[in-house]
Amino acid sequence: MRRMTGLQVIALAVALLLVPAWAVAFQNEGTLRIGGMWALSGGAAFFGKAALGLGTLAVDEINEAGGVTVGGKKVKLTMHPQDDACNAEQGLAAVRRLATVDKVLFSLGPTCSSVAEPVFGTLQKKLGDAGDTGLQLLFFTDTATKFGLAKLSPWVFRNTPDEPAMYDFIVKYLKENRPELKTVMVSYESDFAHSAATWKGALEPALKKHGYHQVVEVVDWKWLDTEMGAQVTKLRRANADVYFALAHTTSMCPSLKEMKSQRVKPKLIFGITSLAGTEVLLNCPDLAEGVVSPTNFAPINARAKQIADKSWEKYKADSNIHSVPAYENVHLIKGLIEKAGLTNTEDTLLQDRRKVRDLLAKVGTFQGVIGKITLNPEDHPVKPRDVDKDMLLVQVKSAKWTVFWAPPHLKQN
Amino acid sequence: MFFDAAEQFINGVMYGSLYALIGGGFTILFGVMRRFNMAYGATIMAAAYVSLVPLYLFRAPFWLMVLTGLAAAILIGLLVEFCCFRFIKKGHELAPLVATIGMLIAITEAIVHATDAAGLKYPSPFGDESLELGRFLVRPDYLAVLVAGVLCFTLIFLLLYKTRLGRAMRAVAERPEAAQILGVSVQRVNVLTFVLTSALAGVIGFFAAVSVGSARPDIAAFVTGKGLVVMVLGGLGSLPGAIVGGLVLGVLEFQATWFLGASYRDILAFLILFVILVFRPRGLLGARTT
Amino acid sequence: MDYYIAIASIIGIHTLLGLSVYLVAISGQMSFGQQGFFAIGAYLAGMSTALWGIGLLPALALGAVVAGLMGFVVGFPALRVRGLYLAIATYGFGEIVRLAFLNVRYTRTIGDRVVGPNGAEGFRHVRYVFDRGFTGAQYLAIILAALVVVIVLYYLLERSKLGAKVRAVEEDETAAATVGINVTQVKVLAFAAAGAVAGLGGGLFVHYSTYIDHDMVALPLAIAAVTYPLLGGLGSFVGPILGAVVLVGLTEGLRALHELREFVYGALIILTMIFRPRGIVDEALVLRVKTWFQPRAARPSGPGAVGVPAEPMVRP
Repeated sequence: MRRMTGLQVIALAVALLLVPAWAVAFQNEGTLRIGGMWALSGGAAFFGKAALGLGTLAVDEINEAGGVTVGGKKVKLTMHPQDDACNAEQGLAAVRRLATVDKVLFSLGPTCSSVAEPVFGTLQKKLGDAGDTGLQLLFFTDTATKFGLAKLSPWVFRNTPDEPAMYDFIVKYLKENRPELKTVMVSYESDFAHSAATWKGALEPALKKHGYHQVVEVVDWKWLDTEMGAQVTKLRRANADVYFALAHTTSMCPSLKEMKSQRVKPKLIFGITSLAGTEVLLNCPDLAEGVVSPTNFAPINARAKQIADKSWEKYKADSNIHSVPAYENVHLIKGLIEKAGLTNTEDTLLQDRRKVRDLLAKVGTFQGVIGKITLNPEDHPVKPRDVDKDMLLVQVKSAKWTVFWAPPHLKQN
Repeated sequence: MFFDAAEQFINGVMYGSLYALIGGGFTILFGVMRRFNMAYGATIMAAAYVSLVPLYLFRAPFWLMVLTGLAAAILIGLLVEFCCFRFIKKGHELAPLVATIGMLIAITEAIVHATDAAGLKYPSPFGDESLELGRFLVRPDYLAVLVAGVLCFTLIFLLLYKTRLGRAMRAVAERPEAAQILGVSVQRVNVLTFVLTSALAGVIGFFAAVSVGSARPDIAAFVTGKGLVVMVLGGLGSLPGAIVGGLVLGVLEFQATWFLGASYRDILAFLILFVILVFRPRGLLGARTT
Repeated sequence: MDYYIAIASIIGIHTLLGLSVYLVAISGQMSFGQQGFFAIGAYLAGMSTALWGIGLLPALALGAVVAGLMGFVVGFPALRVRGLYLAIATYGFGEIVRLAFLNVRYTRTIGDRVVGPNGAEGFRHVRYVFDRGFTGAQYLAIILAALVVVIVLYYLLERSKLGAKVRAVEEDETAAATVGINVTQVKVLAFAAAGAVAGLGGGLFVHYSTYIDHDMVALPLAIAAVTYPLLGGLGSFVGPILGAVVLVGLTEGLRALHELREFVYGALIILTMIFRPRGIVDEALVLRVKTWFQPRAARPSGPGAVGVPAEPMVRP
């Protein structure tokens, strides 16, 4: 009989697939479902879990304050997170699960741009056109930062960093405030879409536009590389004033280690946008000392500090440039839900999604955690449905991110 | 130009000895058991993480970290042997391969959940700044890897050729049935082989994490990729082959990165691997017969 | 429903990948490089519909044929190499293909979309299926139709003279050569056909996902592709199908376990291999099923009979 055990185990496991989704609960049960799709396992789980934590924190706050008013009745938000493991195929299944099994009103996430590409690609492109069979699910993204993702579908809105604007600002800032720093060297991850795009689509155009700096060396490596000896030797010989390391934590830390060992000491080091979080401080706090990074979030006011503390305390979730937008997005949509006149039933789900989507498209400027955020309209020529928001520069000092530069109006908070 | 090539050659040899150690671990196991252990990279990665525990608990000195890593690696290795090898009978060479893929996934996920997939700082006891030998800059941790490589391989060769256990291992590697008839317990040799390669995994985990500067989940994939290539490049089951394969790959990668850039480094490495295998289908030092 | 259609679509596509590894495996080889053919099929079929305006079916056929030709070209040198050496050599081939696509830039602006392979930034806007108004169920039907065609071919192969030759080469190459089988020819043909099957899977995938980049055809896909037939069993083409159903099914089915999902997934693979070391559908099971349909007198028995492996099948 033991021979059958293996088959039985497998049969049981496959049977789990057929377990139906949790009993559908909508208006009559006093709930409203929202979703999220993040990398909750695998190598990118640090970012996924952070965004899940911040999104859930916002849901908690709303529910503790009584919930959302829909059709004159207070209903509670329920969060339905799905794990995509930063894997495209899992993402393609998870998006349909959110859309048709979990039946969420909208989804946060995803974490990885490489998952967002196919997921957003399969969403409807021509709004309301029955001839376009793409999925109709509203996404309000917090993390996936690759430029141009929101253009993939009118169902996609993003509260993510605008990297061309950030690097344009940095180059201008350097030119005006540190004119003595003229030479520049750059490293980027040639196999990581986000990093390659930050160099080719954000930093290089900015350097060309301002025409002040002289680029003396550009090197590349792969994002999971562990050894950058040869590239750093090139940087050492170039010996430029400013070093742009457009690298994520995985390759940033070993490359900084190599820089230290070869005694390469540029006067200023800038990192990539995603760097401004706790991950790099866990990996190489001492090596990252002095690195400056652009970000949209730093705990600069009382509310931001409170959110950062609470999310860590409750969910061990890191408040950073990518996770705090999940918190902001939930709060923004909560307001829209109350204005949209939803019916919040299973049958009207598609209309409800459409109503919230249309309101989101017209939302304009709203209040974020540290400042005002402007969600660009759909006819924006360059980045429709993406945001413009306050940017600040933060620097690692004594193993903590501290404000290096912030716009004057933010300082008053 | 000549100086550059020489500088990268030195780096390649030093870093290549890490590759040689990794390849050596895969090779010993394959040589004795004729099985693949795909969970070896995960063992190395997990050992690196566990060795941080005494450091974070009470600022332990580095030798204690190495010992903890070794102990953790041996425990994980025995677990892998128990789950993926012991109960799978002879004649099913591919079953442990698949089972250890399952183990690779399970170990990696265990670490990811324990740490939220964050890499953790791994301090180097060898200092951070390069030594200046003439015009050459030499990283102290790479130098330590080279020394550790020489030491480990010396010990392994002594073990294999000067001890009873070594003789038993070689006997099982060459003719398992004959060895069994002569009274060698194949089961015991298999377990001891796992202990040996796992101890090596502890050493590799330490040096891999030191050279990167942090313990990270993706060390598992890095080690698996390099280990399989080195093992095959040198010749399956050939320990000298693993050393040569590791050094060749190290030197090749450094020269390719310097002269062609990282984009073409891996293409070149795999092209050369492919060509070598086509012309020497049993690797650089592989036996003519198996 | 869409969710289950999505899972079925992914299972269908991955089954093709598993069947590709299976075809190489039953000629006695192990390939870790079928994801390279998958990539070739995906990029080529994607460019065909998105850039060159070719219809879906010719595009899929083109991807499969070119991947098959590539298998033919690579097969000759690669098949000098055997066993685990071949596994790594083919992995090298897969990586070369992947890294080549990482460096390919070939884009055109169509309307407001920049379409085509764009290096590290990937190849987006392969929207033929959605722009033409195919529903998920309709596209699943296309995937399944392609799968059925391949399976029928496999079925015919396994019952044909050529199939017997392939199995003979797996069992013992030297013996096969002495009875006049052209071993190289059989192996190269199997490799080329396997390349075409993987290429077909790639073409179907890119139209399903609208997007492909080099990261999607890396080591994890290679490991998955090999795991399907080995877990499902090499006894019959049912093996890789079952392997894909079980493994993709588990990935999705274990979602209720949240954080433990991938961990339990790994543990279940280990358990399966302990209890079914030659896969779920192994040769012995195939034989047992076959005997149900045969008159009692014709039942083969003992080692050496067709389908019974020469080595002892020790069971736990």
